[in-house]
Amino acid sequence: MRVAVLSESSADEAAIRILLEGILGKATQEISRHPSLRSRGWPTVVRILPMVIKWLHYQTDAEALVIVADSDDSPVHESAHESAGGESSKCRLCQLRGVVNLERLRLSSVPGRAPLKTAVGLAVPAIEAWYLCGVDPHVNEATWARRLQSERISFTRNSLKTQVYGTDRPSLQTETRHAVEAARRVSNDLSVIEQLFPNGFGSFARDVRSW
Amino acid sequence: MIKSVEFKNFKALVDATLPLNRFTLIVGPNGSGKSTAMQGIKMARDPDASRSDTLITASLRNANDITIEIVIDWEAHDFTIFTRSGWRYVNGRLNAFGPEVHGDTGSASSEITREINNALKSFQIYSFDPKSLAAPVQLPKMTLWPDGLYLAGVLDNLRDQDPERFEALNEELSRWLPEFNRILFKTSHDGLRSILLRTRSGHSIEASDLSHGTLFALGFITLAYLPNPPAIVCFEEPERGIHPRLLRDVRDAMYRLCYPEQYSDKRSPVQVIATTHSPYFLDLYKDHPEEVVIAHKDAEGVHFERLSEKPNLDEFLQDAPLGEVWYSGILGGVPSQP
Repeated sequence: MRVAVLSESSADEAAIRILLEGILGKATQEISRHPSLRSRGWPTVVRILPMVIKWLHYQTDAEALVIVADSDDSPVHESAHESAGGESSKCRLCQLRGVVNLERLRLSSVPGRAPLKTAVGLAVPAIEAWYLCGVDPHVNEATWARRLQSERISFTRNSLKTQVYGTDRPSLQTETRHAVEAARRVSNDLSVIEQLFPNGFGSFARDVRSW
Repeated sequence: MIKSVEFKNFKALVDATLPLNRFTLIVGPNGSGKSTAMQGIKMARDPDASRSDTLITASLRNANDITIEIVIDWEAHDFTIFTRSGWRYVNGRLNAFGPEVHGDTGSASSEITREINNALKSFQIYSFDPKSLAAPVQLPKMTLWPDGLYLAGVLDNLRDQDPERFEALNEELSRWLPEFNRILFKTSHDGLRSILLRTRSGHSIEASDLSHGTLFALGFITLAYLPNPPAIVCFEEPERGIHPRLLRDVRDAMYRLCYPEQYSDKRSPVQVIATTHSPYFLDLYKDHPEEVVIAHKDAEGVHFERLSEKPNLDEFLQDAPLGEVWYSGILGGVPSQP
């Protein structure tokens, strides 16, 4: 299956692809003859997403697109957002889904081409939190949601980096090595990450399983 | 390590203090004193009386009894040390002075003075030139010049003297530029040594035929892997000629120089100062605002401000990339026109 991943770095892409393949239960391929997609973080990812979807649909052999963004200090996605009319304009996952749904409606059909499948994930507060699944149970969506309510918790976005990479200035090489190792470990038992990150990762996994 | 540099009457820097970290990225409009500050640090090691008439602030050139001063505040073994260098004009006569080392270091005084003088002497401002990087050289020549000249000699020496570093450098090169997998050397009939890069398909490309960006990348990687780089270095616009997607690797190369312990490298840390006009490069420092200095140029002159000391910084930055926020002008450090 040819899947495009829109991510901030090659380290993120490598880890997301491993998690994706863990959910799918099979290997994926990159799209043919094209470079990897990169975003420059939020909010650029929202701005370029419409163009990316059009490009993938009309000019590539991509069967699916995966987008994972960090939530940073934005609200955590909630199950209430899943109901019709319950979307939150401040929730990044809802915003990304809104863009995806709108752009898919605008696409014209192309003979011989199936509709582009999509999956959207929200790493709360950053992808390093996913990497700590099975290592630090205190790092989870519910705890970060309490921090957004001004409660003191045991981690920050920077401390997650230090915890994962051993430094808050990791090189891309170090980042990739740790990301790949962590993603392999996490994908061995996805129930843990789905339990600790039921909305940001859970939604992503449900999207993928619906393909 | 230099903690800060205070400039008085030095070119555009009439009264300005530049705060520094182990790594510092300076952003600001053209003519905001970024390069002047670097030049000042370089001249502070050995003030040269012959060039002083071009160094004094233009508006003060007709004044008497003026002192141009560069005061460097050092962090050295927990001692508070500063060096003073400059030029004094008294009744039309000029005297260069310094570097004078001040501070209470007790019995360690001579050792620390030597250390500081060596650090100042080693200071290099790198602004690579593709022709110099690619130039064939006469061996043995083992020091990389500020424009990149003698790169072939430096790499040739590294291969012979420190093969493990040379292998690591080759690996890093092929990670940055996957089309290449090896640095090769050749000697011309007149004895000049030059470099070639071997492609994955086995072809060798002479340095003179490589793209400017490839040569710049090779220059950065080489510095990052040297066993004894200068103690303090400056990179002028390191993003020049480099694809935006490779800027993360440029940042990593600089961090490797600054924080060798985090890269399992046992050599001494290097203090790195970089200047940039690239919003893309600045984006990479959003998590470390203490490493970013904004050069302001306004009616009151030039002054420097650490980004982390801006009030309510988080509210200014929010979700936006740091480079975009800087470009907008709300952080300062942009041209007043257009």
